[in-house]
Amino acid sequence: MPNNWFKKKFLRWELFLVALLLLEVTVFGTLNPKFLKPRVLLGSINDFMSICVIALFVTFVLITGGMDIQAGSIVGLTSISIGLMWQDLGMNIWVAAVLSIIIGALCGALSGFFVAYTGVQPMVVTLGGSFLYSGLAIAVTNLSATESYKGISGFPSYFTSFSKYRLFGIPSQVIIFVVLIVISYLLLHKTKYGRSIFLCGVNQNAAEYSGIKTKLIIMSTYVLSGMSASIAGIILTSYLGTAKADFGKELTLPIITAVVLGGTSNLGGRGSVIGTALAALVIGIMRFGLSMAGLNTQYLDIPVGILLIAAVACRTAFGHYKFFSLFRNRLPKQKNK
Amino acid sequence: MSNLKKILKSREISSLAFVVFLFLGVGAVNPEFLSVKNIMLCLNGSVVFTMLAVGIAFVIITGEIDVSVGATLGLSAAVSATLIRDGASWVLAISAALAVGLVIGLINGLGVVVLKIPSIIMTLGVNGVVRGLCYVYTNGKWVENLPFEFKALSQATVGNMTWFYLCALVLTIVIYVLLTRTKRGRYFAAVGDNEGGATLIGIPVGTTRILGFVLCAVFSAVAGLMYVSRIGFVTPTAGNGYEMKAIAACVLGGVSLAGGIGSVIGAALGAIIMASIGRILVFLQFSSDLDNTITGILLITIVVVDALLQHRAVEKARRERLTAKTAGSVNTEGGGQHA
Repeated sequence: MPNNWFKKKFLRWELFLVALLLLEVTVFGTLNPKFLKPRVLLGSINDFMSICVIALFVTFVLITGGMDIQAGSIVGLTSISIGLMWQDLGMNIWVAAVLSIIIGALCGALSGFFVAYTGVQPMVVTLGGSFLYSGLAIAVTNLSATESYKGISGFPSYFTSFSKYRLFGIPSQVIIFVVLIVISYLLLHKTKYGRSIFLCGVNQNAAEYSGIKTKLIIMSTYVLSGMSASIAGIILTSYLGTAKADFGKELTLPIITAVVLGGTSNLGGRGSVIGTALAALVIGIMRFGLSMAGLNTQYLDIPVGILLIAAVACRTAFGHYKFFSLFRNRLPKQKNK
Repeated sequence: MSNLKKILKSREISSLAFVVFLFLGVGAVNPEFLSVKNIMLCLNGSVVFTMLAVGIAFVIITGEIDVSVGATLGLSAAVSATLIRDGASWVLAISAALAVGLVIGLINGLGVVVLKIPSIIMTLGVNGVVRGLCYVYTNGKWVENLPFEFKALSQATVGNMTWFYLCALVLTIVIYVLLTRTKRGRYFAAVGDNEGGATLIGIPVGTTRILGFVLCAVFSAVAGLMYVSRIGFVTPTAGNGYEMKAIAACVLGGVSLAGGIGSVIGAALGAIIMASIGRILVFLQFSSDLDNTITGILLITIVVVDALLQHRAVEKARRERLTAKTAGSVNTEGGGQHA
């Protein structure tokens, strides 16, 4: 039925997010016309790049039915390790960056191993992980010669400039984000690996019996989220020109909000990369726009929190994912079976 | 099985044993740690975490989670502190703090039970909102210059123990008895252990959950009051991250996040561990910066060991059942034990 096809194709959660995004841009644009300049609008991503990058891959974790609240602390650990390896060990900054991605992967692997192979709730393991990695970040800082509150700075300009570089007016961070969206989209929605992630979330036993190494798959999602946290840490260090242990401390709320707002169920088995990316933009633009409109940055958690609760309440009330079934139910002849 | 054996196998005893061994272990390295004065300092210092952990245990035992207690503590502390600073009566200040807790708890509970929002999401959102309200309410400034009398409350002692900790201790024991010996108290564990079963036998699951959230937030408000009195000033970030420490305390004390397993005594013991780690590190002559690292390692080790032991116990029970069946004698007692 063409009508059904239309609904399936367009009346989806993602469409709602796009509408929300356009609404935000219009509202903030009228509040402050400067906001609509492409340079400002595209450049705004610099403020919430970490949320975007990490949320993409935390989506994987949530789809397997897991939970990841440690990603924020890995950002800080990455940042300070880069600084330490560059300043105190005298490494090339790019080598340090690559090593720090490996560190992030190891952090993810450790937590992922415990989640997958011992059956402890992911929330507990990643809670422990968040303590451990933020603690390690501070411990690492103490190894270095600089005081922890100052952070390590003075990086070479080729490192600090790559995150501010513009290709034909498009900031490099936008390009990185798009590339990561494409990678994660292909990985999650177009490969066998992606299908097995979904199956793990729907029914782990069934997945196991159909020959999928579910434990390895689950562990790998944490590795991916750890690596994405490291990438966010590298970009943040480069953009701010400082390496500090407490970067990413406040990221847990926005990351989980982005993933859940994007249509991923925290019970697993459902979700999409595109939804997460759009939701991350919705949150980021909202934070950016509100602070541009003159709201104190410390108040920004209020709208984000309300948005999270309202979005999930809508979705649970009107049937998962199909926001528009609200309207469908009003039409008498289209009764649900 | 005899009562004694049952008691020895309970999770609270293993938590208590862990605390005792931890303290003895540190004492072996540095005997000063075991002085009465120092142990009392450890206990007294854990009072805020004890209240938070006991409160959050209500929620965790019903199988939900609450990550908004840190912000609740912050807001109730800010509200009561400003009232006391501006010369309002203490009764008003205390009731205002409790009211803050009550409202936040109700919002959490109704959101989870009525709107059916997963508790982690609901309370994460509420945490952000309440933390923001803290900034709005305090205008980003510190609340200082509290009257001396209010600060002196936290210093009042009986023996070496502060009145605060004594109250918390008595309260914990009373709640433990209520939760394990009364019908309504048992509802909490029943809901957390098996929601479907609880519904079928007529337990008001929703009401119990809401009550859990309300009690949790009210306890956080009490913790906020104690925080104000102990610290003597309130920053807009007061209690930031305490929610994670309170959950960690519960987990250390043997409260399972799966629901239905654990008790408030365990949570209180876990709070002692959480609050003492910094002090222990100092006595072992490590930097107290390692606080978080040790907490993380401890947390992961304990839950993993616990999970492995439980797994083994279940396997063993199953094997016993199998051998009992093959031997032809039906053993009614062997299996079904939750470790």
